[in-house]
Amino acid sequence: MSAVAAAPTPTQRFMPELVRRRGLLTAILVFIVLLVAVNLIAAAPMGYFDVSYLSAGGATLALAAIGQTLVILTGGFDLSAGAVISLVNVILATHLGTTPGSELMWAVIGIGVGAAVGAVNGLFVAALRLQPIVVTLAVMFVTQGLTLLVTDKPGGTVPADFTAFLTGSAIPNLLPAPLVVLAVVLVVWGVLKRTRFGTALYAIGSDADAAGFTGIRVARTTFMTYILAGAAYGLAGVMVTAQTSTGDPLVGDPLLLQIFAAVVIGGTVLGGGRGGCVGSVFGAYSLMLIVNILLVLNVPAYYSTVVEGLILILAAFSGAAHGGLPIARWLAAPRLPARRGGGRGAAAAVMLTGTAAAAPPRVPWRTRHAEALRYAVPAYVCFFIVLAVTGWMYGGIGPRYLGALAVLSSFLIVLALGQGAVILTGGLDLSVPWTIGLAGILVAGFGQGSADSAIWAIPLVLMIGAATGFVNGTGVVIFGLPPIVVTLGMNGILQGIALLYSGGTPSGFAPPTIRWVMTGHLLGIVPVIWLILIFIVLASLLLTRTAFGRRVYAVGNSQRVARLAGVNVGRTIILVYMLSGVCAALVGIMLSGFSGQASLGMGDDYLLPSIAVVVVGGTLITGGRGNYLGMVGGVLLLTALQTLLAGTTTPPAIREILYGAVVLAAVVALRDRTAT
Amino acid sequence: MNIFARLATALVTGTALLTGAGAAAQAKPYKVYLSMSYIGNDWQAEAENMVKAMAASSALKDKVHLDVQVSGPNAQRQIQQINAMVEAGAQAIVVYPISPTALDPVIRSACARHVVVIAYDAQVTEPCAYDVHIDQTQAGQVTGQWLADKLHGKGNIVVMTGVPGTSVDTARTAAAKAVFAKYPGIHIVAEGVGMWSQAVARTELSKIVATHPWSSIDGLWMQVGCLTATSMEHEAGIKDDALKPCAGEGSNGHRVEMLAAGTAVDGAHGTYRPMGLPSISYASPPYSGALALKLAVEKLDGKTIPHDIVLPLPLVTNATVQMCKTGSWEDMRGGCNVFQPAVISNPGWFAAIFSKDTPEVGLQAALHGTPEH
Repeated sequence: MSAVAAAPTPTQRFMPELVRRRGLLTAILVFIVLLVAVNLIAAAPMGYFDVSYLSAGGATLALAAIGQTLVILTGGFDLSAGAVISLVNVILATHLGTTPGSELMWAVIGIGVGAAVGAVNGLFVAALRLQPIVVTLAVMFVTQGLTLLVTDKPGGTVPADFTAFLTGSAIPNLLPAPLVVLAVVLVVWGVLKRTRFGTALYAIGSDADAAGFTGIRVARTTFMTYILAGAAYGLAGVMVTAQTSTGDPLVGDPLLLQIFAAVVIGGTVLGGGRGGCVGSVFGAYSLMLIVNILLVLNVPAYYSTVVEGLILILAAFSGAAHGGLPIARWLAAPRLPARRGGGRGAAAAVMLTGTAAAAPPRVPWRTRHAEALRYAVPAYVCFFIVLAVTGWMYGGIGPRYLGALAVLSSFLIVLALGQGAVILTGGLDLSVPWTIGLAGILVAGFGQGSADSAIWAIPLVLMIGAATGFVNGTGVVIFGLPPIVVTLGMNGILQGIALLYSGGTPSGFAPPTIRWVMTGHLLGIVPVIWLILIFIVLASLLLTRTAFGRRVYAVGNSQRVARLAGVNVGRTIILVYMLSGVCAALVGIMLSGFSGQASLGMGDDYLLPSIAVVVVGGTLITGGRGNYLGMVGGVLLLTALQTLLAGTTTPPAIREILYGAVVLAAVVALRDRTAT
Repeated sequence: MNIFARLATALVTGTALLTGAGAAAQAKPYKVYLSMSYIGNDWQAEAENMVKAMAASSALKDKVHLDVQVSGPNAQRQIQQINAMVEAGAQAIVVYPISPTALDPVIRSACARHVVVIAYDAQVTEPCAYDVHIDQTQAGQVTGQWLADKLHGKGNIVVMTGVPGTSVDTARTAAAKAVFAKYPGIHIVAEGVGMWSQAVARTELSKIVATHPWSSIDGLWMQVGCLTATSMEHEAGIKDDALKPCAGEGSNGHRVEMLAAGTAVDGAHGTYRPMGLPSISYASPPYSGALALKLAVEKLDGKTIPHDIVLPLPLVTNATVQMCKTGSWEDMRGGCNVFQPAVISNPGWFAAIFSKDTPEVGLQAALHGTPEH
């Protein structure tokens, strides 16, 4: 490199730097806008006490977001964050002594516990090459179980000096201690980023294969990343212990979705390679400010989730609009030169005419089929093991058991199609819970007064589900928002609508037809079982034998290749979210028929299972690989396992641990032995 | 810098200007905040309605300016909210605490600034706060004992718990299990995690009866879910007079089912009808928030109130269940405790709304936030 030729003018040097840091800059901008807004609308501007309080309140979220950022930078995903915070919280609250020595020791142990959980994650992800989302999901269940074993109810005391040291003032009336903690962590991050480890972190997130070829030790770096992330959650747990000065086994759970929102608002890109921890800290505090804004504005209770969802989307909006609106990129895309040789025509033809088993082109049909089987079969093998255990424990399994299992599985079988299709394209739909809730409430509510409203209520509710998905998809495609943020925001908006429609207490009953389908009898079994069998066949055909199905896989394998091959990527993604919306709405209808009526929040328990079954069924969370019948196997496995456990008096803590262990065992069996 | 950031700023400041004008508060009434948790269920909706009705009652409406905030299930956020309420000049904060312990520091700082903090339904451990609640251990004990007596000390029972990891669930379940442990003839054959939700109870119970047929179950102890259990028994072909005794829950539907078969009611349908279901009904009463507000105002008026207010357990048995005519407070004082299905279309709605201490609120308060007077 010649110094003379390469010497850039100051502007040239400055501009790319600015562009490169756009994510961080927008995160800071969003934060400042919110800060100014709070000060403008509040009666009095924020004083030191407010700043101190806000910094203590947001420190837990910020530290957890830093940990999550590390994982996301490597292209991973860590669902265990909230559970680790709870575990560390209860361990500290039940063990902390009153001497400074004990306090220091337990703080270090807390961070160590976090790092240890991170090491378990890292071991499975890095050494065994398992999918981060499902490993961390399983570890999350196990960690929640361990937390309940430590204490099954809130309690424990924390010495006042522990609280004062971590959440008080480092310099009285000038510098709150939590900001010092964060600053120290960020300095460590700043140093780390400039080491070989830091470079490797970004390289792996950008392209793990390429990183491996350049001599970066991918497995070791990934392993280290999960340990560091775990340590950060551990520190967050220490912080929340200081802030609340007690232990609560449920304290971390609701933080999980906020952590992701903070990371995404902070400008870190899901999928890896771009972003950083500083932005996440600003993202975390932006979320805290939103709460204050809602409070000052005195938003009515039912609207608060709506407003919060909108602010979240708005914040991501300004963060996501890098380099102009994505719509411009979509328009410009076809004019990009086809840089990969071979020409678009030939490659596209191979890809789109093959069966959709997500195999690379030119592999013989039988091999492709074998691979699909290999990913789908472990779930079924585990399922039959659980069946055998059930039979052994209860003296055989009869039609009553199988009927109940089929009905209980039907909800997730339907959800798996929508969530599965979204995941196949590399997205994620977090709006499932309240799409279910709203659909159930609407179908029951519409039924009031008329003898049987099913004929018009079902199509109407399904259309509402489709419309929800359309908005999600539009947000993702046209406005380039991260799927997690759009669908999370949408979930809040739908919750608000459900509350407003029902006035807080849903009324009405599911139409008799739907109730009969879910609880009646037809040819000896519950009618929904017949319908679900038809559904499985149709869903399987939809993903494997239709142009839409092939496009889904094509988009999941590579958006760019798919686009060059003539696939309308944007339309496919929007359709996939619409499918997910329709499936979630259908589940809402089914649940209302199952229970006879709808209740608020009845979809809450279906979000993580909907993701788990898809992944346990062999689907790659980063998209492109997966098979619907495999997902059905995942549903059967998890439902059978829950049924087995529910029939016992095993304490909830042990159930969670067993549940996590089985999910982990299933994915270990799924391990991609031929992984490159 | 970019148009959307600017748009965001404009929107936020625009809204600020609009609402800022209206928020100018008058000086005289007490500034009281209600900090709620999750609002996505019947109980919370009723409790909120009753608090609002209390604030609108003739006794309080000129004395109180009430603002309602919701924090969701997130303790961190409730801490932040309570602090912001103190900053905004709250004189009293009525709070449904998400965690009995995590709020302690913020409550302590509120107390230090002479804010009256009063928690309803669930307790907080911080002693400077006031608590209005039922005795959860007693709730588990009484209902467990009822079931044990009903089964004459022997039989297979199914237990449906609440949300694991909460003090309320742990106390109720432990107390009931302690009772069952005294009877060697009573066996808990399955334990479901019911999450205090009819929908969850339905799936959990479906899983349980997949491996334990109804014929092998003699009784049910459920924190929430008797309503669901009755429906499922009917679907399984069990007749009214053979329904399993079910101890638990205070929903209106459940109490209607407890009425003697043949009792005339308006709007009955499906399993939402009198059928003489053997049961004992209890609930954390949703009026506790309204009572908390009333007590907070008394405290602000300079009266002394006890720190720990334990409400009488609202127990209803087949002998005491009685249909209300109007649902007014006077009507309920006469001993009625269940409402017509024609009026309460949602059987999951909580019927335990009567307290002798809150003549300001009756059925209309729980339904629509309208006070009695």
